[in-house]
Parts: sequence; structure tokens; C-alpha cells
Amino acid sequence: MDFDMTKPVPETQPWSEKFWEGTKEGKLLIQVCNDCKSKIFYPRKYCPECWSGNLGWMEASGKATILTFSTAYGMVEPKFTDELPYTIAYVDLEEGIRMMTRIVECKPEDIKFDMPVEVVYHEREGFFLPYFRPVKK
Amino acid sequence: MSKGKIAIIGIGEVPTRNMPERTHWDIVYDTCMEAVRDSGLHKNDIEGVISVFPQAQPKIAAELSFGKLPEELGLKGCKDAVSVNAGGASTSNAIRLAEQWITSGVAKAVLVHHVTIHSTIAVPDLINFFAKAGVDLQWEYPYGTTYNIIMGLMANRFMYQSGCTPEEMASVVTALRSWAAKDPNSFFYGKEVPSVQKVLASDLLNTPLHKRESNVLGDGGCAMVIVSAEDAKKMKRPAAYKLGDSVRYFSGTCVMRDFNKVAEGFRVTAKEAMAQAGITKEDVSLWNCYLAYPLAHPMISELLEVAPPGMGGKYFLEGRMSFGGDIPWSSIGDAPGRGHTGSGVSSACYVETARQLMGKAGERQVKNCKYVYQNAGGGSGFNNIATIWGKEI
Ligand SMILES: [Zn+2]
Repeated sequence: MDFDMTKPVPETQPWSEKFWEGTKEGKLLIQVCNDCKSKIFYPRKYCPECWSGNLGWMEASGKATILTFSTAYGMVEPKFTDELPYTIAYVDLEEGIRMMTRIVECKPEDIKFDMPVEVVYHEREGFFLPYFRPVKK
Repeated sequence: MSKGKIAIIGIGEVPTRNMPERTHWDIVYDTCMEAVRDSGLHKNDIEGVISVFPQAQPKIAAELSFGKLPEELGLKGCKDAVSVNAGGASTSNAIRLAEQWITSGVAKAVLVHHVTIHSTIAVPDLINFFAKAGVDLQWEYPYGTTYNIIMGLMANRFMYQSGCTPEEMASVVTALRSWAAKDPNSFFYGKEVPSVQKVLASDLLNTPLHKRESNVLGDGGCAMVIVSAEDAKKMKRPAAYKLGDSVRYFSGTCVMRDFNKVAEGFRVTAKEAMAQAGITKEDVSLWNCYLAYPLAHPMISELLEVAPPGMGGKYFLEGRMSFGGDIPWSSIGDAPGRGHTGSGVSSACYVETARQLMGKAGERQVKNCKYVYQNAGGGSGFNNIATIWGKEI
């Protein structure tokens, strides 16, 4: 069967490009509204709280905790089967932002709820996806 | 909406199967003609046609959206036709639109239908469609997520917080399949009901989801005829009256969906819909929940206060929601029991709600079925729509 085996890269918007540029320099950038001071994720064209266009960026610490996770062993798209098993998680950044990510550098059975993790970047076709790994003690 | 403006007075359905030789139009003819005949109306009484949008099937979707059905079936009295798409919440919106057409005088009788054929879609296209639909292409899809994983993320957290065990989770499949085994329109009609052990012995796809806790895609379709509550009463035929409708929006992107907001949304919509209908949860004869995956059922049973907090999984394991149990629940077995027909699972649930209230559910007939709670949600869970339906107004 003719499966598309190309690994996907993020489909960006003009206002999210800065985020992806940041990841190339090892920076996890969070959009901020200069008017109402909201921290915004994912990046928007206008602030979703107050509709201001006066938006800027701040660098996040890259530290987070795992809200929840699921480790995949099968039934993923063929383009991802070579990476099995892998763990998808929702992580809560210190800055109050929640992201979907992968948990890496750790055996699936060692991943725990509320576990502290830190960002580490994974390159794919010029994009640096923020993955997270357990914080080393 | 105000209470009791419309009623379903006719239903039609074909068995859910993988039958590539049965075309989209085969199903459209069979379901729509059965529903019109069941309503006691003449085909030319149908003044409006609303199609529940078939996902990932561009050809039939275009034919239906561009108005072919009334012409094909010779509905000479038809004034308008349209398709409605909100994923799994399409049927709820099709029914709301029917209500608007009926109350505004556009149409006296409206045909709402759905058809899906998965068996003729190329497997790579099918896999790709279900990997991307409802998943954000910038912030989620590149990580290799799937619908199964989205459900796993929710279920894992629920199990961690509530203490719900894998055995309890697996027992939901047993419960849903016990209904499906008695349903001639189910993929699993007459088939063995898998035990908890058998469910847990199936491959682990992604934690905590086993292969038997996921869905089997199938082909199917159904239809219903809707008229004003007033007309339904005059016709003196079995009918299902819409008595309450409440909805909350959560988020389009999975990761943006706050679990607490979702929980609150399920609680509030049930309460609001029941208040509109003038009933309490003790009055509900059947909780016809549409959640697409078994793993969400214990959590929702707790949010609906059918089971006390932390007891949802235990109730399923004790067989209380199974066929023959004391809490009639998802009597077509939801998507895991029926076979997944895309957005059509919710259509099939509404048809079942009507069937139960009309007293036409055969072996699965809930005794003294007076009020049914019927919910639906769209996309990967962007909203929850709670409705209450009654045997009488
Ligand atoms: Zn703002």
C-alpha cells in the first residue's frame, strides 16, 4: 500500500514563526500580550483575551511537569512506526502554559504523573520540536 | 429552545457492516424510504432534507451538499436541502436546523439522514484522515499523536485520579458489546461478548488502550423524519419528543481542552437539559451516551451522577450498565458496539433514542421507557451537547 512516509513538520502561521525561530536557538518562547499581560499559547495573530495586536515574546524556563501521558506501542501512522514505542504527553510549563510533547531519554515504565521534566529539542527538516526529558537529579 | 417543539415520528436504518458492494445511494434509498414509511407520511410530504455530513467521502458529500437527494428520491414537495457538519455533533445540529425550519414555517416535515461507507476508502487515506482530523497540525500532529492517544491521555489521568482499574475500564467493552450482541444493526450482532480478561489480553495499542477498547470502522446509515410536536400528537403515532437541549464549547485543539472545564461542561449541560424538560436524573429511563471510546464511559457516568464519584468503573464491572443490568446505558453499545460509522454513530444514537421511546427496540427495549438522555460531541471532543427526549409531551 502506498503510504505517505514523510514525517510532518509544523504547519506554521506568520505569527508563530518567531516561536519556531526561537527553538533553533534553544529558546522556548511564549507569546505575551503587552497590553493585558496574558501569556498566550499557542501563538495568535491577536491576543485571545483582549484582542490587542501589541504582542511580544518571553523566554520560558523550559521546566515543566507531566500532567498526563500515553505510550504508543502500535496503530500509529506508518510514518511513525519506526519510532515506536514513544510517549506523548501534556506538560504544564512553570509559566502556566500547557503543551503537547514527547517524553524522551527515559524508559516508558519510568514515566510518572506530575514528574518534573525539561525541554530538549528534536530536529526534523529544519524544525526543532520541543520534546521533554526527566530532570536529572 | 423552548420545550417540546419537535418530534421524531419515523426512523429507518441499515445494518452496520463492511459491504463495499452496498453503495452510498443504496443506503440512502433504504434508510430514507424506511423512515418516511415508518412516519406514516407520503414522500411528497417531506419539505426539507438535511444530510449529516459524511466525513472523508468527498464524492457523496458533494452530491448531498449540492442537493441531489430530493431529486433522486422524487421528494416532490421538498423546498430545501442542506448538509450539516460538526463532526460527531452534526446530527444534533441537523435536528436543531430541522426545528428551526419547522418552527419558522420553512418545512412541516424534515428528513434527517446519514450515510457512511468506510470499506471503499483506500486504507492510507483512511488512516491519514483519522490521524489529522481534530488534531492540530502545528502543535500536535508533528509529535505523532492519534485519536487513540488523545483518548489515552484523558483516560490515564482519569485512572490516576479516580483509582479506576484496567479491569473496570475493560468491563465497559463487555457492557457495550452485550447491548450490541442484541442489536441487528450492530457490527457485532449475535457475536460473542468479550470478557474483561479477553479485552485485557488484546494488544496494548497505547496506554491504557487495548485493541479491543478501540473502534472497528464500518459502513452504515440511518434516517429520521421530524415534524412539529403538535403535528406528532395529532398523528397519534409513536413518537420521540425533544424536550431539552444544552451545550458547552470546550476547545478545538486537544491540548487546549482543560479536563476540569470538560467535566463541568458534562455536568452543567445534563442539568440544564433536564431542567428544560422538567425532569430529574431519577426520571431518565435510558442514558444513551455517545462518547466514541469505551474509556470515557466511567468518567461520564460519574459526571452525570449516575454513579457516585470513583464508582463509575465499578458499576460497569458489576454489569449494572450491561444488557439486563439495572441502569440502561448506551443501548446500541456506542461506537465500540455498533461499529464506527464516522459522524453516523451519533445519528444512530438519536435513531435508537427514538426507537426506544417509540417502543420499537425489540430485545433491547427498555421497560417503561419515558425519558432518554442523549448526548453528542464533535471533532476530537470540542463540545458536548446534551438532549432530553420523551415519549410524550
Ligand atoms: Zn491581551
